[in-house]
Amino acid sequence: MHLNARRELTADPWFVTGAALALLVVLLMTAAPWLAVHDPHDMNFQPLSPPSSEHWLGVNDGGMDIFSELLLGIRNTVAFGLITGITALAIGVFIGLVCAWFGGATDNVLMRFSDVLLAVPSVMVLILTAAFFRPTPFALGLLLAAMAWPTTAKAIRAQALVIKQSLHVQAARQMGASGLYIIGRHMMPELFPLYLIGFAAKARMAMFMEASLSFLGLFDPSRKSLGMMINYALKYYYLDIWWNWIIPPIVCLTLLIMTVTFLAVSLEKVFDPRLKMT
Amino acid sequence: MKRHMKSTGRTQYILAYLLAALVMMYVSYSLPRWLPGDFVTAMYASSHVTLNAEQERDLRAYYTERPGFGRYLAGFFTLNWGYSYAFLTPISDLILGALPWTLLLMGGAHLLSMVFGFVAGVEAAWRRGGVIEKAGVGSMTILEGIPEIGTGIILLLLFALHLGWLPASGGETAYAAYSMGPWLLDLAAHLVLPLTTLFLAYFPGNFLLTRGSMVMVLKEQFLETARAKGLPPLRIRYAHAARNALLPMVTRFGLRIAFMVTGALVVETIYAYPGLGTLLFNAIAMRDLPLIQGIVLFSSLAVLFVNLGLEFIYGRIDPRVKHAS
Repeated sequence: MHLNARRELTADPWFVTGAALALLVVLLMTAAPWLAVHDPHDMNFQPLSPPSSEHWLGVNDGGMDIFSELLLGIRNTVAFGLITGITALAIGVFIGLVCAWFGGATDNVLMRFSDVLLAVPSVMVLILTAAFFRPTPFALGLLLAAMAWPTTAKAIRAQALVIKQSLHVQAARQMGASGLYIIGRHMMPELFPLYLIGFAAKARMAMFMEASLSFLGLFDPSRKSLGMMINYALKYYYLDIWWNWIIPPIVCLTLLIMTVTFLAVSLEKVFDPRLKMT
Repeated sequence: MKRHMKSTGRTQYILAYLLAALVMMYVSYSLPRWLPGDFVTAMYASSHVTLNAEQERDLRAYYTERPGFGRYLAGFFTLNWGYSYAFLTPISDLILGALPWTLLLMGGAHLLSMVFGFVAGVEAAWRRGGVIEKAGVGSMTILEGIPEIGTGIILLLLFALHLGWLPASGGETAYAAYSMGPWLLDLAAHLVLPLTTLFLAYFPGNFLLTRGSMVMVLKEQFLETARAKGLPPLRIRYAHAARNALLPMVTRFGLRIAFMVTGALVVETIYAYPGLGTLLFNAIAMRDLPLIQGIVLFSSLAVLFVNLGLEFIYGRIDPRVKHAS
């Protein structure tokens, strides 16, 4: 299945585009120290100067190099997405497997708890926490992950139940394999496609949230982020800065969201067991 | 067996929502009380709001008194939500004043995107493999990758600021004192851009999901039967097939709340639309904590309420749930 999937994925234009974009983002982030020649926090340039060979995208109202800000902003948004995506995935996989393996009361309690979490609008909890406690972005990412795992857990649980009933797992059981061995050796590898789907969906949601919350001004104002850049730039819309100050962070944010969207769409298409059957 | 499980599943969801509502209210009640130190001074030191001695005392009393959760709940249901020191207005007035705008904008966007997304999705699935269908799926997947911040600001720059066709901010022209007809036109002119932004954000998801589930439904055998009976295609498409493709859209609504609320917040802020999102943005900018708390709690409960309503609708449109109970 995995070999076939690889061929299917590389033949899917969405996957190829998404992967190419992801590669571009990784390259941009690794090359950032060389590309961004100015310190993005350095405020010693002529404010609101237009793009030049020294400042590729000009200088903002605070006298900071926009291009350097942009690169750091991309990095912060991606970092937030990765932290949230990985944490939410880890919690979701763990709880999904526990539910599928033990069943019964454990399963029931955990699934009802995840229903409660699903019903809570997580952005509101984030706003409240950010406004009252001023946590670090890292802590906010973890908090978002702590609220975002239920969908992943439910998908993992459903598929793990199917695998648990499959012949080779029953055979392994019959030969006296321990629960941990079966979960580690059989179930976790076979669930691999679901990890990718879950991670892509969560990372997308997290990056979208980060951009929106920083646009609303809920993060530390000195932290560079795409949302905050857009918010600041919009205050100067009457100057002729739209093409070098407003549009670049929008384009970067859109490219980031598109990257994960394309990957998620393609992974779902190739791996979704429900679509496979028909 | 399966039917039985489904019906208990629904009631459990309803219980889950009620529990979630209680949890949200408890968090909102206890959050300020968990903060260490002199919270009022710490918060308002960096705020745009300057308090006089009396206001500061009131606020401190509001946050340090421990009325008990029961009292707090009773206060909430009697619209006693506290006082905003930035707007110098009771919070209930602010929230209830902003609510109609948000309902108009979000309700309109959801209604339009659901109806059009559904019809377009059904038609696309019916024409599976055609050029139009492929182009539709492709462009919608791309549109799904553009966040509301992007579409919102580009539409604002283009149509409001560059071309000047539509107003850039607000929900109506202030102090215009229009009569009924021009007033409605004025409302519509202010609504167009934010509504379009949200529509563009919600439409692709509804379209892609409906198309996906419709493609699966179209493989079912009962459609062969319908066709064999000689029913007209339009009737097969909508009365027989599309009805079954409606369910995932309702389910998805609940799952996408996090995205949708965030998006609506941002869009209202971009266009300074006078709804709850802009109110929340201003409250955050001024660090007006009682107001932030009030809006967060109110909108969370509204979301839960919508979800609860959807559960009932779900039971209505899925006959399996109805017959099981």
